[in-house]
Amino acid sequence: MEIKKLETLPEKIIIPLRQHRGVVCEPLVKKGDRVLIGQKIGESEEYYSSAVHSSVCGEVLSIEEYPHPDGNKAMSIIIKPEDSNDTVVFSPYENIRSGQLADFIKESGIVEHYGMPTHTVLRPKGKNIDTVLINATSSEWIGGTFKTPKEYASQVIDALKLLMKAADAKKGAIVLRTDDKDSIAAFEGIEVDNKRLKVAPLVGSRKMGYYLNEQNSDIVVLSQERIFGKKILNFFTYNVTGRKVDIGCDPTDVGVAICGIKSAKALYDAVHEGRPFYDTVVSIEGVSDRMEYLLVKIGTPFKDVIDHYGFTGEIGKIIANGVRTGVAQYTDQVPVTKGTTRISLQRPEEVLTDDSIECIHCARCVDVCPVELIPSRLAVMADQGRFDECRQIHIENCIECGDCAAVCPSKIHILQLIRYAKDAIEMAYEDLPAKESSNLKLGCACGGE
Amino acid sequence: MTYTISAPPHKKTKLDFKTLNLSKIIALLPLCLAAIYFFGVPALGIIVACVLAAVATEFGIQTIFKQKVTIADGHAALLGLMLALLIPPEAPIWIAIVSGFFAIAVGKHVFGGIGSYIFNPVLVSWVFVRSAWSSYMTPVSIPHVGQFSDLFLEPGAGLMVGVSPILLIGGVYLIYKRYVDWRVPLAFFATMVAIPQTLLFISGVAALVKEGVLNPLMYMSQFFVFLEMSPELPYAMIGAVFFGILFLATDSPTSPVTKSGRIVYGILCGVVVFIYGYFGNYVDGVFYGIFLANCVSSYIEFNTMPASFGTMSLPEKIYRNIMDKIPASMKFEVMDNE
Repeated sequence: MEIKKLETLPEKIIIPLRQHRGVVCEPLVKKGDRVLIGQKIGESEEYYSSAVHSSVCGEVLSIEEYPHPDGNKAMSIIIKPEDSNDTVVFSPYENIRSGQLADFIKESGIVEHYGMPTHTVLRPKGKNIDTVLINATSSEWIGGTFKTPKEYASQVIDALKLLMKAADAKKGAIVLRTDDKDSIAAFEGIEVDNKRLKVAPLVGSRKMGYYLNEQNSDIVVLSQERIFGKKILNFFTYNVTGRKVDIGCDPTDVGVAICGIKSAKALYDAVHEGRPFYDTVVSIEGVSDRMEYLLVKIGTPFKDVIDHYGFTGEIGKIIANGVRTGVAQYTDQVPVTKGTTRISLQRPEEVLTDDSIECIHCARCVDVCPVELIPSRLAVMADQGRFDECRQIHIENCIECGDCAAVCPSKIHILQLIRYAKDAIEMAYEDLPAKESSNLKLGCACGGE
Repeated sequence: MTYTISAPPHKKTKLDFKTLNLSKIIALLPLCLAAIYFFGVPALGIIVACVLAAVATEFGIQTIFKQKVTIADGHAALLGLMLALLIPPEAPIWIAIVSGFFAIAVGKHVFGGIGSYIFNPVLVSWVFVRSAWSSYMTPVSIPHVGQFSDLFLEPGAGLMVGVSPILLIGGVYLIYKRYVDWRVPLAFFATMVAIPQTLLFISGVAALVKEGVLNPLMYMSQFFVFLEMSPELPYAMIGAVFFGILFLATDSPTSPVTKSGRIVYGILCGVVVFIYGYFGNYVDGVFYGIFLANCVSSYIEFNTMPASFGTMSLPEKIYRNIMDKIPASMKFEVMDNE
């Protein structure tokens, strides 16, 4: 599988100042300035933010609200690119110390695809991280950025070591997917600290701790079945480490930092080449059987990516980040951001227009649910506004994978209803007086957000 | 260019309610053909009258109450067809019409339509006409599988559903295709086989005790009775029972949605049907039995709600309690995480 590079220069590059949840960056340039590749154009003093860099060399046209692939508008810097490769000077930081690494990650603008700045995952305030996981279960699209599979494996191991160094963590793991044979072959027998590692499957009660003991190593390579979803982290943590994350907490509360393979690669590049995070690989699929991987500059509008894909017919739907959980776009002028992994296209006739009918209790949703919920019941409760009853049957466990809605023969919008209930519950409990007092913790032992 | 926006997921299964119903109807067609071949034109009359009555009732009710007319989804037709198979072919045509009307009007729409009814409409209607006009509804004969060929064509069948158990294989195909859940039929069938065999074993052991046998090998040899067939089984393995297992018990609104609940429901169906059949006959027994099991299905569902993932179930807790007391050097268990 090869990764093509998007060579054509788009008419304009739109770089949103909001690349992650949390604080939006302040622009460092103004209209009419000339920027270089890799130049920092946005940053914030707040800890919960990450710098933004220009991906092209050109002139700043304006700084204005612009559509963002998450569906809202965000303050963006719009640059008219020039055909030149002028970059700022990149200097590698090979021998960086552990304490500086978190700041370095923030400066390099590395964020997780699930919307957290990487340094806040590795060094959350007031929490200690002892385990770093790299989630490589959806790694097929990144494999091609490396020359050989072995190089891929060794670079990811190096990146994991860097992440562990940044987090001051003792243990680390790379989690592959069981049916991703190429990656498993690349990692099989890799040497780390003079020990040969085996790819170990996560089965039954054999979790990460068992393999750490068995292989007598601080780093292990694991494999598990594919899971996907929007709120996957708690379930993933439980699956890999066996640590149960309380409702309302995130994995950092139990000392686990989860990084994506994309940010691991970005960190490796930043440390070894000094290059900040300004380009990314997205896959583009739909309307034909072909799936393409493209290395694009952050800020490229979807339109240019689609043009490169070569589809000229009528498009019914553009979806960012996968057909299961992604967000449908209302315009093709939205830019690729650091969190974009996939662009899916659908023809007008492929767009779903089914009418929902009553639930027939066929229990298909129960059979497919990876976290043992009763989605049909949750959907009914959410529809009637009985949110407390939703809580009683563990609605917070939902990882929002959308399997239930996808298999429903009655075409009920189960995922949408569950998300509606989850939002309502979050809002209802946000302004409870209990939350202001630090003594009362809403049934959560860790005291986290 | 305008683009559609909507909430995820953006791709769903093609399977819908209509396909489910039509596939069940198709699965029943071979049996209908066999019944018409066996019983002649009266059987065809019953089937047509029952299906038409059911569809017309659904159309009428939904038009009167200004609801969306859903006869095209095939559910009413499926109910009518299933009901027709439970009516003796000698019965007058008006029985079929009344029962078809009753199934849709009372069995389905009084309870709130698809997904809301608590009793299988087919059984509601069958129980009604069976008690109201029992002289017409009593089958001429109760079949029992005497020889192997009876599985292909049952000459002793009194109802259309019993003419050929093997032609219900379409139901198995539906399970294989995952159109129909597998837990209920499997648990149901396993229970129906296991209970007679266990009774045979118990009676064998009881006979030995009565004779005062002390040799333990004699008792152990009683386990071999599981290999031979209980005399009760040929009475149980008839078309009506297979129809109940594959089509009536699996009716989704009347069975629990939880995974363990469906297994419990299947076992319960098996137990109730066996008790009915053992003391009465299996043809009536399977219909009354599933009807009774429908009553408790929501109770089963409510009591088998799954806990949050990662929570230990009761057997796991007991196992853990025991294993934690044993010193680490004595057990061959997975090493502790952390």
